[in-house]
Parts: sequence; C-alpha cells; structure tokens
Amino acid sequence: MVKKKFLLGFSPDIVNEPIVYRLVRDYDLKINILRAEVREVGGRLLMEVEGKASNIKEAARYLNDSKVDVQELVTYVEKNEERCTHCGMCISICPVEALTMDRPAWKVRYDSEKCIACGMCIDACPPGAMKFRI
Amino acid sequence: MKRTVAEINQKIKDGDVVVMTAEEVISYVQSEGVERAAKEVDVVTTGTFGAMCSSGAFLNFGHSEPPIRMQKVTLNDVPAYGGIAAVDAYIGATELKLEDHKGYGGAHVIEELVSGKPVRLKATSDGTDCYPRKDIDTYVSLNTVNQAYLFNPRNAYQNYAAGTNSSDRTLYTYMGKLLPGYGNITYSSAGQLSPLLNDPTLRTIGIGTRIFLGGGVGYVAWEGTQFKTNVETKFGVPMGGARNLATIGDMRGMSPEFVRALNLPGYGVSLALGVGVPIPILDQEVLKATAISDEQLFAPLIDYSTQSRNRKPIKHFSYAELRSGRVELFGKEVRTSSLSSYLKARQIAETLAERIESGEFLLTEPVAPLPADKGVGTLEVRSKEEAV
Repeated sequence: MVKKKFLLGFSPDIVNEPIVYRLVRDYDLKINILRAEVREVGGRLLMEVEGKASNIKEAARYLNDSKVDVQELVTYVEKNEERCTHCGMCISICPVEALTMDRPAWKVRYDSEKCIACGMCIDACPPGAMKFRI
Repeated sequence: MKRTVAEINQKIKDGDVVVMTAEEVISYVQSEGVERAAKEVDVVTTGTFGAMCSSGAFLNFGHSEPPIRMQKVTLNDVPAYGGIAAVDAYIGATELKLEDHKGYGGAHVIEELVSGKPVRLKATSDGTDCYPRKDIDTYVSLNTVNQAYLFNPRNAYQNYAAGTNSSDRTLYTYMGKLLPGYGNITYSSAGQLSPLLNDPTLRTIGIGTRIFLGGGVGYVAWEGTQFKTNVETKFGVPMGGARNLATIGDMRGMSPEFVRALNLPGYGVSLALGVGVPIPILDQEVLKATAISDEQLFAPLIDYSTQSRNRKPIKHFSYAELRSGRVELFGKEVRTSSLSSYLKARQIAETLAERIESGEFLLTEPVAPLPADKGVGTLEVRSKEEAV
C-alpha cells in the first residue's frame, strides 16, 4: 500500500463528474479529502490517496484522460527557517501536531508528512514564516 | 558576601569575571548552594524576545536642498510622526501602511532599516520662508540618516497574563490566534530567563542601566509606561504584568535576528525585540533571586472573550506547566503556545554573557532608581472639572 497526496484541478465543464466515486469504486483507493473548492475558473481538490501503487498509477491515467490536472504534492506548507523565531505560536494551532517543540533545544520542528494543508498555522505565525506551497 | 559594580567591572577588565545565564545559575545553585554560588558568580545574564508593541524609532534624515520642514512623513508608505523639528520623525512599531496594509507596518520599516535596506521616504510641507520646499520623495537607509535609535516606551514586561478563549469563535488578539472553546492557551514570557523576573524589586536595574537591545547596546531610559508595583506576588515575584522598562539604543549595531517585525492578523503589526539585562551579583539575596525557576514563576490565565479591562484570572499556571506544551483546564487537556521565543531569549543571555566575559560590555550602576511603589490609573469618560 502506498500513500500519496495529490492536487487536482478541474475546468468548469468537468466539475460535475463524480471523480472521487470513480477513484474509490474503480481503483479501490482510500481517499481523504483535505481541501475542496469551486471557483469561477474551475475547482481544486486536495486529497490524500492510499492504495496499491499500480492502482494509483492507473487512477492518475484515468484522471488525465478525463482532463483533470493532476499534481503530486510532497509538501503543502513550507516553513521559512530564516523567518521563524521558534516562538512556538503555531504549536497549539496545528490540529495534527505536524508542528512540535523540540525540547530542550526549544526549536520548532515541522514534519511535512503529517501536514494536512488546513492552513491554520499560516495566519497564526507572527513573523510570517509559514506559507502555502500550492 | 558583598560586591560592587566597580569591583565586577575590574574583574571584567582583568579577564576573571564569572558570568552565568539565568538558566545556568539555577542548576548551579541547586548543586552548590546559594552561599557558595554567590561567592563564585559575579554576573547573571537574562534575556527575552517577544512582541513589544510599544516600540519605535527616532530618525533624523538630514536637510535637503532647498530644506523642508516635514509635516506629513511616510516611510515605505507607513506614516511616521513629524510633529517635531524639521527633519526629525518617530515611527511607531504598530503604525499600519496607508491604504491596503496587508499586515505591513512600522515594525517592518524598523526591521528593514536595521537590516541595512533602503526605505522610501516621502514628506510634504506647507513651505515656510526658512523651509521653502513643499515635498520630497527619496530613499534613506541606516547609512544615510544622521541618527536612528529605538526609543521604546514599554519593553521587557516583568510578567504577562496568558490568554485563552471561552467563546465559540476564533479570536485574533495580540496574544495570537485563540481557538474557540478553550481550544488553546498562549503565553508570552521567557520565565526563568526573563530580565525583570530575575531582579523582581529592581535592586540592580534603574535609569541608565546598560543593556542588550535588539542585538546592540541600549540603556534603560525611564520606567516603562503602565509600570506598577502593587501586584500580588509568590516567591517574591509578581504573578502578573507589573514593572517594565522604557529603553533606548542605537539601531546601528542591532541585528534583524533580534529585531523582527510581526503580523498578528486581526490585531495588527508588532515588533519582536530582544532585550537582555545583566544582573550584578551584589550579595546573596540578588543571587538567590536569579536562581528562580519556571516551577516558581506563575502567570494568570485570562479569558480574552471577555471584552473588559476588569477580566479576572481563571487560574494561575506556572511557566513550567505552560512550557510543557499541555495543561489541564476544566478537566480538559489544552495545548499551549508561546508568543515569545525561549530559544532567542537563551541566545540573548548567552551573547550578553560572552560580551561581558570578553570585556566589551561593562556593567553600570543605575543613575536613579525606578519607582518602588506605584500603581496604574484608568481612563474614564469625564468632564473637564473631574479631570483636574
């Protein structure tokens, strides 16, 4: 089993396609939707996908054929180490503890693997060290 | 055991001074005892790095040709106060950029100046016989201005209340983002490293005390605004905001590592500033006070959803509890966050210790003491007669 994160982009004409349903039924993928939005220019769907590597690959091909823009993501949110003062304001904000205080060094550690792209740390960071990558 | 500042300075010059940070001295006193430690240690250094909204910079730009008496002044479109002499201005840390500020303000201008970056100066004037020019649009930097010094009315608060939020919506405060339903707790003090918690009655700190300010050298200028002494104490230390310092220091010599602009969305802009104060160990009592640890220092917890100056503390937590990352509140585990950087506070205390050991930083005796007994008044809507 493999776990990957994808950002899907939809043009307005395919917003009505039941994409997630097809991914679950036809490719046996476990889907965790992290962000979803529909705007004038189309839709965006940020999700974590778990399944067989071969199924994920085939699913990506299906999405490409359906004119969905597929982008694999490694990091959603980036921490600017020069800007970070290691105050720790973000620590109690992050719902999944991707941001933790390394004691006794008192440095804020960011584990991008745990990040679910909720973005709550971004406007909570006083020196502005946290930024969306997408 | 008694020691004078002059004797300590002689030891600094001779290269025999013994300096410890307020963190190191805790375990030293635990292992050696107060008496022995007081004999050994000459100076204890402290440090804090947190949001200090009441900060700002005086600048003198030099005269243009022909000269202008600047009335309206902006720096990178952030208004500065020009109601003093012709080319003097004061830029406050929390002043916001005109139009759409996008979280940019005076603190950012100050950080950029300290970083050596150019800043756009625009000024207008009515024009006078002695100052005929009516406007100017140019760039200035720390290299071009005559004077640039921080003059901060309120820095290095002795202690500060922690914040939480009982309401059902997220609050955006100067204590950061407070999540609904007591979703988190934020606090802001370096605790056992914090300058005024290590000399709680200000026996050694007064007007003229030389300090570490923003990475450079500064001085205690005056009592800070809202300075008060009538605060409940535990282990001899106030359990809430009490004393604080007005500080002054040349921006040349400061570093963006210790002068950092902050944006607290929904509240505004502030300046994180590094302040470190050396404490001369004049006797055993002074030493004993510096050995206080986070377990013995307490902050009140305030509910920021109560929009009144009369908020009563929900309870008190020790800094050891707050710093652990989790505390229990109403039977529920609540995560904590610090707004001030303990890492930077430690770096400040260590840097100050190194500067003293190397002989480049000598200690001072206060020129005058700060108030020993003082309260804080409130602002009421009152008549002219009632104000007298």
